[in-house]
Amino acid sequence: MTNIGSDLPRADGWDKVAGKSQYTVDYSESGMLHGCVLRSPVVCGRIVRVDVEAARSMPGVRAVVTATNVGNGRAGMLVRDQTLFADREIRHHGEAIAAVAADTLAQARAARDAIELEAESLPALTTMAQALASDAPLVHPDWESYALNPMAAELRRQGNVAGELIADPDGVDEAFERAHLVVEDEFCVDRQYQAYLEPMSAVARFTDGRCIVRTGSQFPYNIREELAAYLDVRLSDVRVIGQTVGGGFGAKLGCGTEGYAAVLSRAVGGRSVRVVKTRDEDIVTAPVRENAELRIRTALDAEGNMTAREFSCDMDCGAYGLETPTFPSILFHFAAGIYRIGPVRVHARAVYTNTPPTGAFRGVNGPAVYFAVERHMDNIARRLNEDPMAFRARHMLRDGDTLLNGQALADAHIAREACEAVQKSLPAVGARQSGDRLRGVGSATGFWVTNPLPGSVTITVGEDGRLHVLTGANDNGSGAVAMGLTQIVAEAMGVSTGEVIVGLPDTDLSGYDSGSQGSRTTHIVGKAALIAIDDLKTRIFDVARQMLPPGANELELVGGMVRAVGIGDAQVPLAAVFQMANFSNVSLSGSGTYATTPPAFTPGCAVGLTMPSLLTPTYHAHRAEVEVDSVTGNVRLLRYVVAQEVGRAINPDGIMGQIQGGIAQGIGFTLTENLRLVDGRYLERSLEAYRLPLAQDLPRVEVVLLEHPDSEGPFGAKGVAEPPLVFAPAAIANAVSDAVGKPFYKLPITPEDVLFALDT
Amino acid sequence: MSAVQVSTTVNGDAIDFVCQPTETLLDVLRNRLGLIGSKEGCGTGDCGACSVTVDGQLVCSCLVLGAEAEGRKIGTVEGLADGDKLHPLQKQFIDNAALQCGVCTPGFLVAAKALLDRNPNPTEQEIRYALAGNLCRCTGYDKIVRAVNAAARDVRKQQARKKR
Repeated sequence: MTNIGSDLPRADGWDKVAGKSQYTVDYSESGMLHGCVLRSPVVCGRIVRVDVEAARSMPGVRAVVTATNVGNGRAGMLVRDQTLFADREIRHHGEAIAAVAADTLAQARAARDAIELEAESLPALTTMAQALASDAPLVHPDWESYALNPMAAELRRQGNVAGELIADPDGVDEAFERAHLVVEDEFCVDRQYQAYLEPMSAVARFTDGRCIVRTGSQFPYNIREELAAYLDVRLSDVRVIGQTVGGGFGAKLGCGTEGYAAVLSRAVGGRSVRVVKTRDEDIVTAPVRENAELRIRTALDAEGNMTAREFSCDMDCGAYGLETPTFPSILFHFAAGIYRIGPVRVHARAVYTNTPPTGAFRGVNGPAVYFAVERHMDNIARRLNEDPMAFRARHMLRDGDTLLNGQALADAHIAREACEAVQKSLPAVGARQSGDRLRGVGSATGFWVTNPLPGSVTITVGEDGRLHVLTGANDNGSGAVAMGLTQIVAEAMGVSTGEVIVGLPDTDLSGYDSGSQGSRTTHIVGKAALIAIDDLKTRIFDVARQMLPPGANELELVGGMVRAVGIGDAQVPLAAVFQMANFSNVSLSGSGTYATTPPAFTPGCAVGLTMPSLLTPTYHAHRAEVEVDSVTGNVRLLRYVVAQEVGRAINPDGIMGQIQGGIAQGIGFTLTENLRLVDGRYLERSLEAYRLPLAQDLPRVEVVLLEHPDSEGPFGAKGVAEPPLVFAPAAIANAVSDAVGKPFYKLPITPEDVLFALDT
Repeated sequence: MSAVQVSTTVNGDAIDFVCQPTETLLDVLRNRLGLIGSKEGCGTGDCGACSVTVDGQLVCSCLVLGAEAEGRKIGTVEGLADGDKLHPLQKQFIDNAALQCGVCTPGFLVAAKALLDRNPNPTEQEIRYALAGNLCRCTGYDKIVRAVNAAARDVRKQQARKKR
C-alpha cells in the first residue's frame, strides 16, 4: 500500500499557498450586490418601530428587508425556534433586525445606519440562575408551538429549559449512605469563540425561481434545510453549492449569513447578493461554545473504590437552541469518564437565556465534561493520597464493561495503552519549584466517539481514465477530503492521488452528507467511497473482461490499468475501458451510502436522551507539563504529550495537524481565551481582545499514534479531529493545579486566578 | 470625496489605479486589482491575514490606505511564486502540511518571506516571534514553524549557489 499511511500533500495545497483559492469572501457574480445586517443594540426588549424609509431612498440601495416583509419561517438544528429577523421580541444582543442590499458595501452600511430602530428594553435573563428562577419570564413564551426536527424527538423541554436529561438508576442513594468518603466538586467553564479566520459569508441568487447559495459551509445539506424553512419553500427549491471553507470548528454547520443573502436576493428580483460578517459581528453572533456549571459528587468505600456518582450540569443555550439542547445527552455518556463507578445519577439541562446563542464547537460539550470528570479524579486521588494515574488505572473500564447507556465497550484496554504511552514519554515527577517558577504535571484520559451520521459518494471514471468523486462532504480545512478521502479512493482504485478529483459539494448533484462534524468525514465518507468503489469495480471489470484475453476471470486495478491476474501482463487502461463502456450502454459510475449501525443499548437508561449510543469509540491520554510564574501568574506549557488511538492513520501528517491544532484550541480554552458576558453583551469583541494562542505561546506537541484498525472504517480509520481539544483542558488544568498546589475549578485559568490562588 | 489616482508597483509590475481616499490598500488589492490572496480576517490589524510588504516593510494592508501605495513597491503572496515555480516557503508549506483551511496562509507566507529577507538563518524562537502577528486557528503553528525553518535552509542553499 502506498496511499494509506503516507504523508501525501493535500490536494488543495497549491492553490492555497499561491493565494488563488476562492473562498466565499473572494467569490463574486455578475451584477452582484452587497448586503449587510442591522443588529440589535438591545439585550432583551420589544420592537416599537423600525423605520426603513430613509434607508430605502439612500444612494445605491436596492432593498431593505425586515421581519414584516420576509415572512416568518422558523428554522433550527433541533427545535425550530429561530426566525431570520426579530419580529416583535428581541431576545439577545446582536439579533438581526433588518438587512440592506446596495450597489456597494459602503452604501449598504450607510443605509443600515440610517434605519431607525425604536425598541423598548425589558429586564433580561442574562444568567442561567435568572432563567431558572421559578418566577422567570419565558425567553420563548411559545416554546410549545415550535416544530421539532427528527433528531429532537426525545428532547425533554419545559419553558426556559430547552433540553433536559435525567438518568436516575437504582442504588445511588444507598451507595452514598454507605459511603466511607464523599468527594464533591463544582466547576465552571466560560464561552469559547471558534475564531475561524474567514468570517461567515454567503452569496445568493434566485434563478428560475430557485434559490442558489454559495457558501463555505461545513454542512451544505443542513444549510439547504434551514434555508427552505426560513424561505418557506420546498427543500429542492434551494441549491447550496460549497466553497472552500475558511475554517469552521462547528460554527459553520448552520445558517450564518446565508439566510440574509437569500432574502435580500429575493427582494431584489433574484440578483446576486453577497453578505460577509465583520469580525465584530461574527464574534457577537457566532454559535460559540456554551458556558456551563457542573457539579460532581462521588461516593467511595473504605478501600477507595468509587461506588456511585451524582453529576448535574447546566449549560447556557443563549436565546436560541441551535445544537445545544442535545448536549445534555453528550454529558450523560461521559459523566463517568472511562471508569467503573457504580450507578451514576445525571441531571443536565440546556437553558435559554437572553444572551447570544451558543452551539457546536469541535468536541461539543467534551472539553467541559472531561475537565470536570478528570479534575475531579485528581481531587479524589489527592484526598486518598494516591497517585492520580494509579487511582485511574484501578478504576478503568475493562474490555466488555458497559457504559451508562448499557452499551458494551469492547476495547477499553486501549485507554490503558494510551496512559502507559504518555507515562513513558513524560513520567510524572510531582510538583517542584525553582525560584519564582513552579512546575507541575497533569493528565487526562478517556474515550471519544466518531459521529455516525450518513454520507454518500459517487465515483465516475472520466474519458481519460481519471476518477471524479462527487460527495456532499466539504473539507473544512482538516484534510479529511483533501487528504483522507482522496487517499482512500486512490488506494482502493489502484491509482495515485493525482488521478482522483474531488469536487465541491452541490446539493443538486452530490448526494446527501451530514457535514464535517463529529470527526466523521474520513471514517463515514471514506467508507461510503469504498462501497461506491465495490459497485464501480464490478462495472469496470465486466466491461474489461470483454477486452482482455479469454480466461481473464480475476481482475485487479493497478496504476490506472485493469490487469488480469495470472495471464501474463494482459491489461487495459481505464481510459480504454471508459470508451468501451460508453458504447456498451454501461455507466462507469459507482455510488455508496454509509452510516454506522448503532450498537445495542438499554432503553430507559435515561429520559431526554437524544443520542442513545456512542459509536466508533477512540481512546486517548494527554499529559502536560507546565511552568507557572508566581510573580506574573502566567502559565507556560513546557511539554505536551498525546497518545491518541486513530484506528488506522490514513495520513499521519494530517493527523498530527489535527492534534496540534486541537491542542492549541484546548490551550486557548484553558488559559487565554475569555469571552465574557457582562449583562448579556460580550466584553471581547475583536481578535485583539479575544486572545487566541500565538506561535510563541505553544509547545511542540509530542504525539504517539496508536493504531487499532476499526472493522467498519475505511482501511480501519476512525475519527481523529475532535479528541485533541476534548482532553487538553483537563490535562492542563490538572498540571496547573499540581504546580500551584491549589485546585482550579474554573476555565479559563487566567494569570489573575493563578495569583489569587497563590495568595490565599 | 473625489477619487485619487495612484501609481505604484505591485509584485514588480507598474500599476495605476484609482481609489477613494478612504479605501484601504487591502480593498484596493482585492476589489480593484483582483489580487484575492490577501484576506480580511479582522479589518483591525489583529490577525495578519492581509499581510503585505510596502518597500520591504511588513504591514497589515487593512491598516494602510490605498493612496499610500503611491510611488511604493508592494509585495503580496501572488508575487512569491515565479510562474509555476513556487517559492521555497510555499513548497515547504505544502510538504510540511503547514496549512489547513488556508485563509491565514498568504499572510504567514508574506511575513515569513519578510523574516527570511532580513534574517536568512533564524532560530525557532526567532521564527515564532516573527510570526506572532499572524493568527492561525487550524494548525497550532508547529508545522508552520517547521516549514519556515526548512524553507530558510532552501533559500540559503539557493543563495550559496548564486554566489558561486
